[in-house]
Amino acid sequence: MESLLSVRGLTKSFKGNQVLCGIGFDVIPGEVLCILGPNGAGKSTTINILTATLAADKGEIRFGGKPITDNLRAYKQQLGIVPQDIALYEELSAERNLRFFASLYGLRGSRLDAAVEEALAFAELVDRRHDQVKTFSGGMKRRLNIACAIAHHPTLVIMDEPTVGIDPQRRNHILESILRLRDGGTTVIYTTHYMEEVGAISSRIIVLDHGAIIAEGTKESLKESIASERHCLVEVDVPETTSDDTTVLRSVRESLFSVDGVKSVSIEGATIDVTSVAGIENVDGIVSAIVGQGLPIKNMTSVPVSLEMVFLKLTGRKLRD
Amino acid sequence: MRDFLPIFEMDVRNLFRNPVLIGYNTVFAGGLILIIGWLMGDSYARVSDAYQYYAITLLVYGTFSGAMTATNCFMERDIKKPNLRIIYSPAGGSSVWLSKMLASFVFDYALHIVLLILCGTLLGVTFGSNPLAFIVLMAPAELFGTALGTFGCCVLHSEELASTVLSLVVSLLCVLGGTFFSPDALGGPVATISLLSPVRWFDDAFFAMACDNDLSSFWPVFLGCSVAIAVLVIGCKHFFRTEDYL
Repeated sequence: MESLLSVRGLTKSFKGNQVLCGIGFDVIPGEVLCILGPNGAGKSTTINILTATLAADKGEIRFGGKPITDNLRAYKQQLGIVPQDIALYEELSAERNLRFFASLYGLRGSRLDAAVEEALAFAELVDRRHDQVKTFSGGMKRRLNIACAIAHHPTLVIMDEPTVGIDPQRRNHILESILRLRDGGTTVIYTTHYMEEVGAISSRIIVLDHGAIIAEGTKESLKESIASERHCLVEVDVPETTSDDTTVLRSVRESLFSVDGVKSVSIEGATIDVTSVAGIENVDGIVSAIVGQGLPIKNMTSVPVSLEMVFLKLTGRKLRD
Repeated sequence: MRDFLPIFEMDVRNLFRNPVLIGYNTVFAGGLILIIGWLMGDSYARVSDAYQYYAITLLVYGTFSGAMTATNCFMERDIKKPNLRIIYSPAGGSSVWLSKMLASFVFDYALHIVLLILCGTLLGVTFGSNPLAFIVLMAPAELFGTALGTFGCCVLHSEELASTVLSLVVSLLCVLGGTFFSPDALGGPVATISLLSPVRWFDDAFFAMACDNDLSSFWPVFLGCSVAIAVLVIGCKHFFRTEDYL
């Protein structure tokens, strides 16, 4: 399928510090493309360049096959942008905000009225339409922030961490609204550092770290990429009489490494995370290695591969580190 | 133009919703004329002459201080984020800074005309036989102030920095131009240096119009200021960067 948006060789430096290192990707019509990365990975810089607010040092962006610089105005007309911060006039009502921002996209008269009604319904703010934004809760402002970006029916909606600082319940509400957008045929680029959001809404994922794309694919394909491993979490009962816990756990670690297929062992408190090569049946060996060192096993589970693990594997650190 | 009008309308409305800016351009400026006029009354033949002097010089000071109205309208914290949405839209571009400049001009000009009428009716300040010419000549001074403020934001990329720098520049031009005391009283060299300040050009032109019904300075000052405004507008177009809103 032809790309809606095609990005090639995007490079950006700030005062000699390279923030984007020639990244490139495609956005397929109708998908929710999640750009995942820790703070400072280059997500917002990418978004700012995609929205034509910030100039790239190098690289090209094509929309519908044409460079966006050929007709920037036409490109912007097709975009709906949800910035990270609330970008609303606090003194104005919800309706007045929507009316003003939609009018910037050329909507007038009955088309504007209809667009405002639809956006108010989308944000579930019909009954608060005349209230000043400053009287709204954080969640209501977030919803209106999104509604202002979609009132003019853009082809591509770009969202830069739109759920920052809101509680999980309201976050779910926003994620549902993004899926509604997708179901209506809108393409969405969504940046976040919340793994669970990616799991809930993404059609495809780009993992960005230190200004470079280190992985790209669907949830399933990314998990598949590390499916050559299997995790086993073992909770042990460290006896109170043990004089030196560290020595015991060190011995357990050494024993585990002698088990066939074990690749790595990490110990946190009384929990031992054993990573083994997939396909090698070594559970008995793991149990023997631990029990053999005098530690009774309280619980043992095999952990399915998660996106968090994928990220950890790819970057060597947790997403929120 | 279709894009420009909604932005301009919003900017004007936002300014008229700002009580601090309204107070600064009316109550503060009027209070300053009253207090300084009253305090300095003894230095003039009559107190009314002091009001006449300070009403005109402080009005000119107010028009140049329009630079601060423009910086506020352009990048003030509360409106910077919604302004970012304007940048995102197809209307985002020169319309953004041009709208701020003209909205600040309309706001300041309207309030200063009200102040001028109040000075005339309450303090007996006269504006010559042709008050309309007086009001018309205020326009380039107002626009110069707001163009200066907009230019400052475009060059310095920050409202706080632009406000700080421009308030110093405007104060210096006003002191040099004779806003608080006549530079002629300080002798030849100071009087000569004061001619460098555009505030002095406007003061002299307004005094000539108000006190002597002399309109000879009208066009030179009007045209000279228009050239300066054109230079600032070209500067804004050159230096404006959308990323300043990020």
